[in-house]
Amino acid sequence: MTKDDVLNALKRVKGPDLDGNIVELGLVSEVVIANRKVYFSITVPPERAEQLEPLRKAAEQVVSDLDGVDHVGVVLTADAPTGQAAKPAAPAATPKPKAPAGGPGGGGQSAGVPGVKHIIAVASGKGGVGKSTTSVNLALALQANGLKVGVLDADIYGPSMPRLLGISGRPQQAHGNVLSPMEGYGLKCMSMGFLVDEGTPVVWRGPMVISALTQMLREVAWGELDVLVVDMPPGTGDAQLTMAQQVPLAGAIIVSTPQDLALIDARKGLNMFRQVDVPVLGIIENMSYFLCPSCGERSNIFGHGGAKNEADKLGIPFLGEIPLHMDIRETSDAGQPVVASAPNSEHTSIYRAIAEKAWSSIGSSGAKAAPSINIQ
Amino acid sequence: MSTLRTTDVWPTDITLNPAKDILTIAFDDGQTFELAAEYLRVCSPSAEVQGHSPDQRKTVGGKKSVQIMTIEPVGNYAVRLGFDDMHNTGIFSWQYLHEMGMERDERWATYLAELEEKGLSRE
Repeated sequence: MTKDDVLNALKRVKGPDLDGNIVELGLVSEVVIANRKVYFSITVPPERAEQLEPLRKAAEQVVSDLDGVDHVGVVLTADAPTGQAAKPAAPAATPKPKAPAGGPGGGGQSAGVPGVKHIIAVASGKGGVGKSTTSVNLALALQANGLKVGVLDADIYGPSMPRLLGISGRPQQAHGNVLSPMEGYGLKCMSMGFLVDEGTPVVWRGPMVISALTQMLREVAWGELDVLVVDMPPGTGDAQLTMAQQVPLAGAIIVSTPQDLALIDARKGLNMFRQVDVPVLGIIENMSYFLCPSCGERSNIFGHGGAKNEADKLGIPFLGEIPLHMDIRETSDAGQPVVASAPNSEHTSIYRAIAEKAWSSIGSSGAKAAPSINIQ
Repeated sequence: MSTLRTTDVWPTDITLNPAKDILTIAFDDGQTFELAAEYLRVCSPSAEVQGHSPDQRKTVGGKKSVQIMTIEPVGNYAVRLGFDDMHNTGIFSWQYLHEMGMERDERWATYLAELEEKGLSRE
């Protein structure tokens, strides 16, 4: 008994509207035959799944009548029409293609993003610690250190990359469903901010967020990148889990202020990444100390050294401290991040040193190769 | 820098046999476990099996001849196994697979005892 035998038998089953047959209508999935057992699925419109149970039975019947078949497993799969779940402003929210039922498993879905060598997430346990400012300057610093860099703004609810990089306009379609990333200061950039207006809130449920993130990651022509910096939304929710499950992240960087409260949250972020086995490349202490622009005096507004102590305690690298300084804040808000607009400043050298540390720990982070999966 | 990870075990090879009922997992600590599809299925970490608390845990019977149909990698840390009874929501982390290998005899004995207690069978 071969797949062709099965398909020939299935041609006797009429389609949902009683015209044609389910094979010619293209509703039958890959047929898997193993040990006299046959498995396949039939794609039907979701709202008719119950009503079409007889169709499933009929298909099961004709196949089980074949010689050499002990068992038949048929399932109906619902296939939402492309774009049905999409918001007008977002690129068509194509549901992630389901792994073919019973196809020779492995591969595909959670493999890395083609052309992108390393993906690192910049995260914080809570909002307001300057994560996005740090992300953009870190990305620019990685670029200044000679790497090809992209930025993915995964902060769906509060996208800030368009403003930070001073980019406006909408991404163009490259081909098919794939968008070309925008570019600012040489960084390739994709953000929900390009797709919705700045003042418009994104009021979405979790599954929409996941679908949008997947698209911004995979349906963008990133080209060849050494590293893609992902500016994560604050906290430990859907978006973070999606990133961790959809791509093999090379590592995560946690941004925190020295304040105890922020550090408690940073620890949560850290533990989340540990749970999903994403190596934590280190902690950056942001707003570490206040440098008075007029007299240059240093004050430790939020206390000092908290993040370093925490990093030591948790056994993860401390990547560096970034001062709370007007220049960093002003340049960021003006869309001219300090690393790009003042390449020779002291702040830039701080970011570049952090970038170098982070980059070197990607190499040595013990990000072990994925196991090889063999189906004999 | 092993301090960056909590998981000390890491698989190097995951192999499904031609009969699709034994998954062989080789770990980098030198251990290799052969886990039966039935064992993996009935101990699936899925909430469908484990529930959301220990008292919700279900004992699944009748999986003696279950086979593994798909193996999908999940992030850096796990594989998702699809079984031929259409159960595919179990995400098996490296850690969990390693534990299942280390504690196979105890876990299996516990399972058999539970089956008996609940009047279920492997068939």
